[in-house]
Amino acid sequence: MSEHTRKLDRREFIKLAGALGISVAAGAWVWNEFWAHDDPLGEASAHGGSGPYWAMVIDLGTCIGCERCAFACQATNDTTTGHLWNIVLRDEVTFGKPVFLPRPCMHCEHAPCVEVCPVNATYHREDGIVVMDYQRCIGCRYCMVACPYGARVFNWEERTDENPMVPTWGTIENPRRPRGVAEKCTFCSHRIDAGLERGLRPGYDRSATPACCVICPTEARVFGDLRDPNSPASRKMAGRQAVVLRPELGTKPRVYYLLPT
Amino acid sequence: MLSQIRQRVNLFWVWIAALLAVIAVGAYAVFLIMYKGLVVTNLTDGAPWGLWIILDLSCIGVAAGAFSLSALTYLLGQEQYQPLARVAVFVGILGYSGALMALVLDIGRPDRFWHGWVHWNIHSMLWEVTLCITLYFLVLTLEVFPMVVEMPIFDRFPWLQDLGHRIHRFAPVLAIIGMGLSLLHQSSLGGTYGVVVGRAALFRPTMPLLFIVSAVAGGIAFSVHVTLIVQWITGRLLVPARVLLQAGQLSGAVLLVYLYMRFWDTTAGNYGYVPGRTEAFTTLSAGPFALTFWTWEIFLGGLVAAILLIRARFTGSIALLLTGSGLTVAGLVFNRYHTTLLAFTEPLSVNPPVTDPLITDYTPAWTEWASAFMVIAILVMLFSLGMRYLPAFKGIQVDRPLEERVPRLAQGR
Repeated sequence: MSEHTRKLDRREFIKLAGALGISVAAGAWVWNEFWAHDDPLGEASAHGGSGPYWAMVIDLGTCIGCERCAFACQATNDTTTGHLWNIVLRDEVTFGKPVFLPRPCMHCEHAPCVEVCPVNATYHREDGIVVMDYQRCIGCRYCMVACPYGARVFNWEERTDENPMVPTWGTIENPRRPRGVAEKCTFCSHRIDAGLERGLRPGYDRSATPACCVICPTEARVFGDLRDPNSPASRKMAGRQAVVLRPELGTKPRVYYLLPT
Repeated sequence: MLSQIRQRVNLFWVWIAALLAVIAVGAYAVFLIMYKGLVVTNLTDGAPWGLWIILDLSCIGVAAGAFSLSALTYLLGQEQYQPLARVAVFVGILGYSGALMALVLDIGRPDRFWHGWVHWNIHSMLWEVTLCITLYFLVLTLEVFPMVVEMPIFDRFPWLQDLGHRIHRFAPVLAIIGMGLSLLHQSSLGGTYGVVVGRAALFRPTMPLLFIVSAVAGGIAFSVHVTLIVQWITGRLLVPARVLLQAGQLSGAVLLVYLYMRFWDTTAGNYGYVPGRTEAFTTLSAGPFALTFWTWEIFLGGLVAAILLIRARFTGSIALLLTGSGLTVAGLVFNRYHTTLLAFTEPLSVNPPVTDPLITDYTPAWTEWASAFMVIAILVMLFSLGMRYLPAFKGIQVDRPLEERVPRLAQGR
């Protein structure tokens, strides 16, 4: 080896190698942590992974617009009048007769709210349900700007109001959210979780099923696992024409509407 | 007696007192907002962003002169712009302070303003904006620091002044970092709107480009405009007229590029029917925003402003320059206003369509106005104090300051 190439002594070489190793490790960590995930927004879990694919099926043909789903939701989740998680819209033109369209959160697979939240305060659970971390939300309301369905509401003030739907339409199961955070329908995830813990089957067992579906007097609105062909949701969908809202956006909602026949 | 008082009253402090009065009213509004929550505003679930976001976007837009002129001076070697770049950097740090104040007012949980730094969502435009803005604020602080420690009261701390000199030697490095960060977040502010897939009026890939180009034009124009006003009031010459006219012409040229882009963005985007976007464009061009859109954003703040700015260079007219730069800034502010509010007047159509449109009407509440004016008054006050006391803006005294000119006029009456 010539004098020319031997510029590094051992100490320098070790230092250089160490520095290089540390930078590669740091780079790999950063890459792994932030970019290398196949699924950075948890969209595989948005798909429900291999577990149940929770979905809500709403039959526009049998919905009578009684709004009991909205009442039960307000009672169960303790929402404020005027800032409901579940509303019932009325469409008089599309089908030549009045049709009612209940609108909960769509729990999109490609949820715009999850994509835009600057602090990851809204995210997909393991089972694909889109939920909020009220302790993390900074209240910037970008999710409300981004939601294509207007499904998000804000806590504009500290809540002191009395819930007008309690006890007639249900009891409060979801604690009130603090002032200054966004909130939305959770598919009654607290009922699903508590039910599964007790060995119940969401969709089949009333106490493990979203309150809006339990109360529906015409069974226009059902919940269940679409991977289970016998679930109420699957059975309801079978042989019917199902649509989702604003399909052109590619959000892949988990709320399906059955067209009136 | 009265004339004696009039003679002794210093107009500068009258001005500061007036600003303090505005700040006091705003402080009461801020107290209400913090105490009762955002319920005291007119923001709603349907129109969750309003006046504060317009203020925030405008502040950042007019602050773009800082990075543009720093880049011209230190990276492109156009040294003649240096005195204007100093004004622009000072305007810049104030603009970003204003933007941060507006955001703290706007978010529902100001106590969690730091969450963006801890809980990253690299897929969120707003997260990118948060990081870039706070980092760029640091860059601006470093750029302004040498100007502040030049003040005589810091003579007692020579090490501070020494540090200032050391930092100033890195001006080109700061200009590069500042330009990188600005190119990122000025555009991603447009992107914040541009990625909103659910609102056709906003969902356009052109949004980031329109934001950055209009900010460069508006930012340079704003620095020129305030320099002219300061020179008129103080009777000092901060920046040679030739440089101001040159900067004005540059701003006018960029504004023309912007108008060209805006023209194609608007026409190509609405040539055929695009659900939502076409309706939004009708709202903008023929609906409630038609007057401000055509008059302020397109005609006065766009075409007329560009022509005046370019013409000023050829005629050497300071009056044209003052008018043209002012109109450019107005056009920028109206653009941000239209962009923000247009989003929420477009009904969130669902398919099958619903006949209850989810349209929301929004006009700011007094609390929003008062707190917005408070932010502006704080910035104007800091700017006035800076122009009076910072050695960097001493300039050359060519006329008596306004506060000496006006009482003399009053006395003569």
